[in-house]
Amino acid sequence: MKEKILTFENVKLIYHTVRGETVATENLSFDVEEGEFVAMIGPSGCGKSTLLSLAAGLLEPSDGKVDRRGSVGYMLQRDELFPWRTIEKNILLPLEIRKKLTPEAREAAKTLAEKYGLKDFWRSYPSELSGGMRQRAALIRTLAAEPDILLLDEPFSALDYQTRLNVTRDVAGIIRREHKTALLITHDISEAISLSDRVIVLTRRPARVAHTHTLDFGETDPLKRRENRQFSVWFELLWKELNT
Amino acid sequence: MKNPQNYSEEHLFWLKKRKKKLVLVQSLRVGLLLFFLLFWELSTRLGWADPFFVSSPSRIGATIASLYAEGTLFYHIGVTLLETVVGFVAAVGIGYSVALLLWWSDLLHRILEPYIVVLNALPKIAMGPLIIIWCGTGSKAIVVMTVLVGIIVVIMHMLSAFLETDENKLLLLRSMGAGKRQLLTKLVIPSSRAAFISMLKVAVGMSWIGSIMGEYIVSRAGLGYLIVYGGQVFKLDLVMTATVILCALAAAMYFLVVLLEKILVKNANH
Repeated sequence: MKEKILTFENVKLIYHTVRGETVATENLSFDVEEGEFVAMIGPSGCGKSTLLSLAAGLLEPSDGKVDRRGSVGYMLQRDELFPWRTIEKNILLPLEIRKKLTPEAREAAKTLAEKYGLKDFWRSYPSELSGGMRQRAALIRTLAAEPDILLLDEPFSALDYQTRLNVTRDVAGIIRREHKTALLITHDISEAISLSDRVIVLTRRPARVAHTHTLDFGETDPLKRRENRQFSVWFELLWKELNT
Repeated sequence: MKNPQNYSEEHLFWLKKRKKKLVLVQSLRVGLLLFFLLFWELSTRLGWADPFFVSSPSRIGATIASLYAEGTLFYHIGVTLLETVVGFVAAVGIGYSVALLLWWSDLLHRILEPYIVVLNALPKIAMGPLIIIWCGTGSKAIVVMTVLVGIIVVIMHMLSAFLETDENKLLLLRSMGAGKRQLLTKLVIPSSRAAFISMLKVAVGMSWIGSIMGEYIVSRAGLGYLIVYGGQVFKLDLVMTATVILCALAAAMYFLVVLLEKILVKNANH
């Protein structure tokens, strides 16, 4: 049996504002195994980003337990590269923060960046890169810290459709090749189907797991999955489940 | 981008037109000043205006020359410049530190907020008599006045820039395990660089207001003193001269800030 990297056990989270309290999630249980690519979809306003903050340990649950083996790498909707830093300095940032910027780590990060076509941009500033390249640099920044699990918060939603398909394929390919564990949170059903091994469907607030589906495409390329006949079957099913 | 050698006719024409316009703007700028000076001079010579009241460029030149001959020209400039620069540096330094402290401690920020707002609204010149009693009638009082005039603006400007730091970037850094100190050094301070420059530009103006105001109230030397003294004894040449020098100094200090901006922006590519 594979090791569980992330476990949510009966997690409850209450959100406090002056106007009152909101139960964002209650009795939420799921886990992510090593090497797995899990996608979570839910109706809008079910507190998806809150779940990622819980997973990253930035929020403490009001009740229940969040168990995390190892470190997390976060990827947000926009690349959030720091414009005053070169691509090199951006990629080395997490190592710098964790005070792990050894010559070996620096070299490993550089090798990773070169492997994925960022060599020519190593000393460029983010403003000199295209949207797709920037998102790729953001992924390499996340990977350079060698996280045990990647948390992806709709990382493609800020891109235009054409770029988005390409970047999705690009990023998914890199994550698969590096054998990384990933948890993707999105409202985009087709993105969830084209990327993941397993889809978790959440209920409305307070969010709980409504359904879990293992996707058996036997294929990990997002574009090829989109062409697959099963794709629309899954889409319809998930669409119905989200709207009940 | 194409090489300059391969530019099309149209592009060359466009470049030429653009350059022509730049030259026009520059020459009209200088021309406007020359015209103004000439008109001023002529109107006093031809008797349209009384030079006793409005002075004239040549009389200002003569006043500068006589101040220089007396050996007091650079003394007065030096006194005011020193007070202004010391006050400016202190206001920026202390104000920036206070803004950092208030960013660091939300509690402190909330407690002090109404006090800062009130201090900002208070006309600082009202503190004049108090400052004289507390600090004496020397340059010290003027520097204190300069700091008082500038510091609140520095604090408010920088604090709002610190608080506007991108939430997502903060989240990202926190997810990397950054502590508050790292948030500050890696993100909050570098991302507020543009605000820092615009704050400096405001603070330069404030410092001149502070030092001249201070000299109006207490001083025995400096350009503000020359203006007040000149006004009291009806030597309007002296008033005009000091004002013109002040104009030149303020412009020079402003351009130094612009120069700093260019260096910083070039390094940041931002």
